[in-house]
Amino acid sequence: MAITNLFLGTKVRLVVEDPQVEAKAWSQWLRNSEYMLLLDTDPPVLWSEKTLKDRIEKDLEESHEDVFYAMIRTLEEDRYIGFLAFFETFWNHGDAWVAIGLGEAEFWGKGYGSEAMHLALRYAFNELNFHRVTLGVFEYNQRAIRSYQKVGFVEEGRIRGEFLRQGKRWDMIFMGILREEWNNNNPFQPG
Amino acid sequence: MMMNELLCGKLVRLTVENPDVVVEHLSKWNRDSELARLEAARPATPYTKKQIKEFVEKELLGDHPDLFFFMIRALQDDRILGETGLDGVEWNHGESFVGISIGEREFWGKGYGTDAMQVLLRYAFCELNLHRVSLTVFEYNPRAIRSYEKAGFKIEGRERNFLERGGKRWDMLYMGILRQEWQAQAQESE
Repeated sequence: MAITNLFLGTKVRLVVEDPQVEAKAWSQWLRNSEYMLLLDTDPPVLWSEKTLKDRIEKDLEESHEDVFYAMIRTLEEDRYIGFLAFFETFWNHGDAWVAIGLGEAEFWGKGYGSEAMHLALRYAFNELNFHRVTLGVFEYNQRAIRSYQKVGFVEEGRIRGEFLRQGKRWDMIFMGILREEWNNNNPFQPG
Repeated sequence: MMMNELLCGKLVRLTVENPDVVVEHLSKWNRDSELARLEAARPATPYTKKQIKEFVEKELLGDHPDLFFFMIRALQDDRILGETGLDGVEWNHGESFVGISIGEREFWGKGYGTDAMQVLLRYAFCELNLHRVSLTVFEYNPRAIRSYEKAGFKIEGRERNFLERGGKRWDMLYMGILRQEWQAQAQESE
């Protein structure tokens, strides 16, 4: 059995930071409403660093065992560029949802997110021993969809016209990857 | 897919009770030092009701995703006769320890414990989808060992001379049952 550092890739690593560090990063990311439209269905809002810190601390207090949350840091400049989380974990079924966001727009489209997701899947299948991982992505986020396909996700279904944004209806797309797919045919070679 | 009453067996059913009911029974059973010596290696110790209440509220009935704790009720008269549970569930490995205690002595050696264990194993393998269940038992408790064997557990190892009781050293036995072993046995008994 090869013992590798599961939290370390070639471009990024997964870390957990104190609430004030995380709050500072998030308060910057929120200012980019484009990022928020790609990330969430809620209308974008701005929160102060203090409010974010309080919310993060409250979440930590209630810390749920079905949640894994980490920040993504680049190896090169050691910058915080985004976050990654598993949630809604059903341990008895070996199933969880994954979410990822790159708040630093200059790192979009350069493989950082794909590698972070690859690390997440390696952790999910090799250490947490999940059977499958699920995610939801918005139809208008083609960059994300390509990235998810690159690490092995396939589309499993969609809710047609779930969102109304900029005068148009958009689908919510569900993607998933099974353990054996990841083991047998992992298309993503980080580098 | 078979849908039967998951927590009900032939002689007993497993229930979750309010803290005061659990405390009342654990306090009563705590007075029986022999029971304590069959259950645990730590010195048999009487605890106050307050101590037991804190333990029940915090540990047994708290929100612990790796713990499933039940009281055992007899089907014939609905009496609470013991407790059982899965503790220390390692979800990523699909593994858990199991504990059981029949506090009411008149129910010893009559199949109630074995039935409760069988119900709990069904819950562990059919609902929690675990891969294996483990337990420890002391060498001087042959009644329990026989019951566990009847439920399908195999002896997997032992810590030699683990404890000293009654002027003698005794082994602690490790027993375990795998999912496929349980399935084979469940099919046979159908």
